[in-house]
Amino acid sequence: MAALSGGGPWRRGWLPALQVVRHASKAVTRHWKAMHFQRQKLMAVTEYLAPKPPIPEQCLPPKKEVVEEEDGYVRLLRRQVAEAFRDNRMIVVCQYNPMPNEDMLLMRHYLRKHNIEVKFFLNEIVRPVLSQSKYKNLLPLFVGRNIVLVSPETKAKEMLRVLRGVPQINLLGACIDDTILSKKGVENFAKLPSLEASQGQTVGALALLPSQTCSLLQRGPVRLAALLDEYIRQLQAGASPSQSSEAH
Amino acid sequence: MWRQLGRSLAVREGPGSPVVLRAGLKKYVLPPDYSGVTLPERTKLKFMDKVPAVPKVRREPRRLRDIRGPSGEATEFTQGQYGILALGGGYLHWGHFEMMRLTIGRCMDPKTMFAVWRVPAPYKPITRKSLGHRMGGGKGPIDHYVTAVKSGRLVVEVGGRCEFGEVKHFLARVAGKLPFPAAAVSRDTLQRMREEEEEKQLNNQNPWTFERIATANMLGMRKYLSPYDLRFKGRYWGKFFLQHRV
Repeated sequence: MAALSGGGPWRRGWLPALQVVRHASKAVTRHWKAMHFQRQKLMAVTEYLAPKPPIPEQCLPPKKEVVEEEDGYVRLLRRQVAEAFRDNRMIVVCQYNPMPNEDMLLMRHYLRKHNIEVKFFLNEIVRPVLSQSKYKNLLPLFVGRNIVLVSPETKAKEMLRVLRGVPQINLLGACIDDTILSKKGVENFAKLPSLEASQGQTVGALALLPSQTCSLLQRGPVRLAALLDEYIRQLQAGASPSQSSEAH
Repeated sequence: MWRQLGRSLAVREGPGSPVVLRAGLKKYVLPPDYSGVTLPERTKLKFMDKVPAVPKVRREPRRLRDIRGPSGEATEFTQGQYGILALGGGYLHWGHFEMMRLTIGRCMDPKTMFAVWRVPAPYKPITRKSLGHRMGGGKGPIDHYVTAVKSGRLVVEVGGRCEFGEVKHFLARVAGKLPFPAAAVSRDTLQRMREEEEEKQLNNQNPWTFERIATANMLGMRKYLSPYDLRFKGRYWGKFFLQHRV
C-alpha cells in the first residue's frame, strides 16, 4: 500500500511486479494495427489540450479595425493617374500582351515622336481614381493587363498607324475630347480630316454664296458703268474727229 | 560602390548616351564563426557493407521489438550540426544506405562539409524462402541484412562550414525516401522540438492523461493495455510514433 500513500490521489496506481508474457499475437507489426475499441476511447479521452489564453477572446475588447495607412507611394501613383487623365485630351486604353522589350521600346519611341506617352498603370490604382472621376464609364476596360496611351493632342491616325505594326497591343477603347469611342469609333475618328482643314472648308463654303450674291448684285451697275464708259469713249471718239473736221 | 544602372534605362537612353552611375552602401552581415570546426580526413559517407563480415551466419528470430518505442542510442548530435531524425521505427536495408550515401555525397561540398553515419551497417539477417518454394521445410536461407532504427534516432549527421539552409534541401529529400517518417533537423531545431514537447507536457490542460489512467488502472483499462504502454505512455503504437500526443 506504499503506492497509496505517496503522491496525489490520482497517483494511486501500481506497477505490476510481474508481467505476464503474452504469446497470443505479435505486439509489433510492420503495419498499423487496429487498436482495441476501449483503447481507442482511451486515446481519444487523453488527447492533448492546449492551454487557453488567460483572458477568453469574448472578454477582450473588440479588435479595432485596422485602418490601412495610405502608402505615400500609392498616393503618388494615384496622383499621376489623375494628372494623366486631367491633362490629356486623348486617352486610349489598350490590352497589353507580353512582347519583346525591344519592340516595346521602339513602339514607345515612335509614339513619342507624335507626342503620345505610354503609361503603365496598375488596375488597383486606376480603379479607385476613375470611379470618383468623370471617366467612370471607362472602368470596364480596366481588366487584365492594360496600358494607357495619353496625348495632349488628338493624333488618332498616327497612333493607329503605329499600333498596326504591334499585334501584341490591342486597342480596347478611347476617350477623345471627353467622348468615349470604341475601336471602330477611333478608326472613324482617324479618317476625319483635321479640324483646321474642315474649318477652312466650311468658311470657304459659307463665303461662296455671299460672294456670288455680291457679284450678282454688282453685275448691273458694273455693266452700266462699263456701258457708260464705252459711251463716253465713243462720244470722245466722235467729238475728236468732228473737232478735227471742224479744224480742217 | 559605383555600378551601372539597370539595362532598361541604359537602353532607353541609347547607346551613345553617358553611362549613369549611382552610389550605394551595402551592409554585410557577419558570417557565422566556423573556427571550431575540424573536418575529418574522409568527409563523405563511408561505404557500408551489404553483408556483415561474420564467419558464421545465424538465422535469427524476427524480434520485431527492435523497432518499437523510442530509441535509446544516437539521439544526440556528436560531431555534426545537422542530421536526419527518424520519426518512427523501421528497417534500413543496403539500398537505403546506398541511396543516402550517393545523394548526400553528390549534393554536399566535400571541401567544406562532412557527413557521418549514426547507424551501423546492416547487421540483422532477414530470411526468405526462395521463389516458388513450397511452404514448410523449416526456415529459409538468409536473404539480406537490415539495420533496425527506432524512433528518435539520428540516421546521418552532416556538419562543417555550412548553414542549415545549404543542407536542408538534400537532407529533406533523403528523409522522404527512407522507409519510416523522418525529418531534417539541426541542433537548434532538435532542441526546440524537445523543449516544445516538454512544454506541451507541462501545460496540458487535459487532466486525464494516458499515464494517469494506465497507472491507476482506471475503469480496468489495463485489460486493454500492454505493459509497454506503461513505459511509452501512449506515444508509440507498434513502430509508429504518435507525434501529436503528449
